[in-house]
Amino acid sequence: MQTTPVLEMRDISRRFGNTQALDGVSLRLYPGEVHALLGENGAGKSTLIKIMTGVHQPDSGQILLDGKPARIGSTLEAQRLGIAAIYQEPLMYPDLNVAENIFVAHAGRRWLVDWGQMYRAAEAILAQLDVHLDVRQPARGLSVAAQQTVEIAKALSLQARVLIMDEPTAALSAHEVEQLFAIVRRLRAQGVAILFISHRLEEVFAIADRITVFRDGRLISSALRTEVTVEQAIRDMAGRSVEQLFPRRHTVRDEILVQVRNLGRQGVFQGISFDVRAGEVLGFAGLVGARRTDVGLALFGIAPADHGTITIAGQSVRITNPHQAMRFGIAYVSEDRRGLGLSLPMSIAANITLPTLQRYLNSLGLLRRRDEVATAEEFRQRLAIRAPSVDVAVGTLSGGNQQKVMLSKWLNTRPRLLILDEPTRGIDVGAKAEVHQMIDQLAAEGIAIILISSDLPEVLAMSDRVLVMREGRQMGIFARHEATQERVLAAAMGQSHTVGTTTAETIGSAS
Amino acid sequence: MNAKLRRLLSWEGLLLAILLVVATLNTNLAPAYLSLNNQINLFQLSIEKIMVALVMTFIIINGEIDLSVASIMGLAACVVAVLFEQGVPLVAAIVVALLAGLLCGAFNGFWVAYVGLPSLAVTLAGMIGFRGIARILIEDRSIGGFPAWFTTLGQQPLLGPFPFSLLLFGSLFALAFVILHYSGVGRLVYVVGHNAAVARYSGVDVPRLKLGLFCASGLIAALAGVLLAARLGAVRGNTADGFELDIITMVLLGGVSIFGGAGTLGGVGLSILLILNLRNGMSLMNVTGNVQTGVVGMLLILSVLLPNLAHVARDRWQRRAMQRKEVQASIETSASS
Repeated sequence: MQTTPVLEMRDISRRFGNTQALDGVSLRLYPGEVHALLGENGAGKSTLIKIMTGVHQPDSGQILLDGKPARIGSTLEAQRLGIAAIYQEPLMYPDLNVAENIFVAHAGRRWLVDWGQMYRAAEAILAQLDVHLDVRQPARGLSVAAQQTVEIAKALSLQARVLIMDEPTAALSAHEVEQLFAIVRRLRAQGVAILFISHRLEEVFAIADRITVFRDGRLISSALRTEVTVEQAIRDMAGRSVEQLFPRRHTVRDEILVQVRNLGRQGVFQGISFDVRAGEVLGFAGLVGARRTDVGLALFGIAPADHGTITIAGQSVRITNPHQAMRFGIAYVSEDRRGLGLSLPMSIAANITLPTLQRYLNSLGLLRRRDEVATAEEFRQRLAIRAPSVDVAVGTLSGGNQQKVMLSKWLNTRPRLLILDEPTRGIDVGAKAEVHQMIDQLAAEGIAIILISSDLPEVLAMSDRVLVMREGRQMGIFARHEATQERVLAAAMGQSHTVGTTTAETIGSAS
Repeated sequence: MNAKLRRLLSWEGLLLAILLVVATLNTNLAPAYLSLNNQINLFQLSIEKIMVALVMTFIIINGEIDLSVASIMGLAACVVAVLFEQGVPLVAAIVVALLAGLLCGAFNGFWVAYVGLPSLAVTLAGMIGFRGIARILIEDRSIGGFPAWFTTLGQQPLLGPFPFSLLLFGSLFALAFVILHYSGVGRLVYVVGHNAAVARYSGVDVPRLKLGLFCASGLIAALAGVLLAARLGAVRGNTADGFELDIITMVLLGGVSIFGGAGTLGGVGLSILLILNLRNGMSLMNVTGNVQTGVVGMLLILSVLLPNLAHVARDRWQRRAMQRKEVQASIETSASS
């Protein structure tokens, strides 16, 4: 490891809008070393990968390749420089066969394809990885693990010297993970530098030579595996800077509004059990891929649960579509404002009344514009939506104001249970504070709230209790006073025993 | 909305301007052009197509397409003719034909709305299949000899000089206009057309809306087919063949986005007027039907091209202005320092 690093990132900074995604980060990747990168959601890992692969350009800092300054202007350039990345969901061409997928980046260099040579070369690369795959088989129908192998083979065919693996094990079984690790070790022996990103600490500690922790776009620690402990790593990841957050009042009432027992959806999540009381904010914490949104979508009937029970105000219900969910008083505010939440070319008023359009129709089915505008005006004032009039297109508003329109739209359904999915993502600090104040206000009015958020300090500050999920499973529910960043993060990474948490309550599953 | 509204307004303004030019030319070429008779006649010749274009507007704004309308028209005409030939009372035959159209629409709607197949494929299959059924029913014959009340159904002046079919079209246009622009259903047509997922996540029953639209399309197409049979006085297997392209042309020229979510019935109304007057003028000038079709085709290409060209030109102009401003600014800063 005393050799020069293949790839060195020096003092890299990158800003998106008002978020400093990376702040003076330095990282060295040596040949024959597996370098693990740890960090919470939004710690800056993805941004760093994107800079390494030429998707983004750094605002400042230097990239050195073999000790010489280099510029990675595009993904194609990254490929040419020998930097390859594989992701959790491999990007395959399903109708091309294995060999074609391996050599897809080589296509277009000659007029004709020498099929025989291509198959032989593909077999040679796979043999180098000690993998047995029929190279003439179409990629469609390959397991995720096999597809990843094809991706790795593709990287090797391009003489990759740096291999970035972004959550490669998230969709793999334990056995497949072992096989993947065998390949990683073989690549390491061949002198490839590997950047390995995973939320599974046990895997990181099993495979990595060096472990680096990011938090809030900064490098917190970087040490040889033998010099760090799991506890130390978690401590480094937690302790995020907490901005001024709105102080929550205690508004939880006795009445249990929603009772969920052993809820699951085949292949997505399972064993989710919790209660939400009127006036309570139940936070859903977890890392990317924890499947929190899927639980929200099941409650809202978009992707219904296939087992478990939901009881609302003492009445057992089955929810199979959003319309039904709305009848039971459930509202779901999507995380994807532009894609799922709002109709951008439509006016503020039209967006607010969309779920409740029936209320604004006369007996002939015609719109009562005056009522519609009155409702929209009411919300514009109540939530301080900054817009010249309620007739302007929602697409012209800022993110924060769009978020308020979306909240208005669902508050107008007069929900008993409000599911907020990442309600402050991508909005500025001021709007964020307003949303937090709104959440507190709504809870005080007796609405039960499920707050799904990847912003850990936010979940902890806003929630009365926090449910932690990891890869579709419930890891525990923490009461407000027990929910520290370290405990929640440890649970989200499947390490609850190491920090010694106690769950606030144990809910027996109904089945 | 504002920018889009302005664009549409200007689009409608453009259509209106071309229409005025066409009307002026026509008046100069043929003094008979402006007579009420000619104006009514000009509608009469395409009355069935423009009726179907109204529902097609809804379908395309909703983000779908219905290629099977002309085949449904043909099928309805054949059903009426064949049943009449078998001795079924004509009124009963018309009712059966309308039901057949409704059924065809429901068939399309089922696959699109509830199975999720693309409407382009489903209605292409419908276009071939429904036409096939029509040809099986009527074979190579031509059926005519309808009673006089039927053959004059559309064209006999009913209210003043206006015939039944024109009054029917006028009422349908008014109804469609109110539904699209002033009702809850119309609102949903736009929302679903722009982004169906947003509608679904808002509890809107998207499949039911789509099924409803395709049913309406089938029913109105069948009605148009019956009127066509009445106007022509005879029905053959290829009745209304190829009409779907004229109908879709009228809608697209009216400024309706082929991607859904945008367009107005006002625009479609203007585009219908423009196409009809243009064809009428060319007929007065003795231009053949084939050339007329070519001219309408050119118009459609221009209608797609013009807004894009305008967009490109504006972008380029803005970029230049920006560069000029930057240069200006840099000169000023260097001068002041």
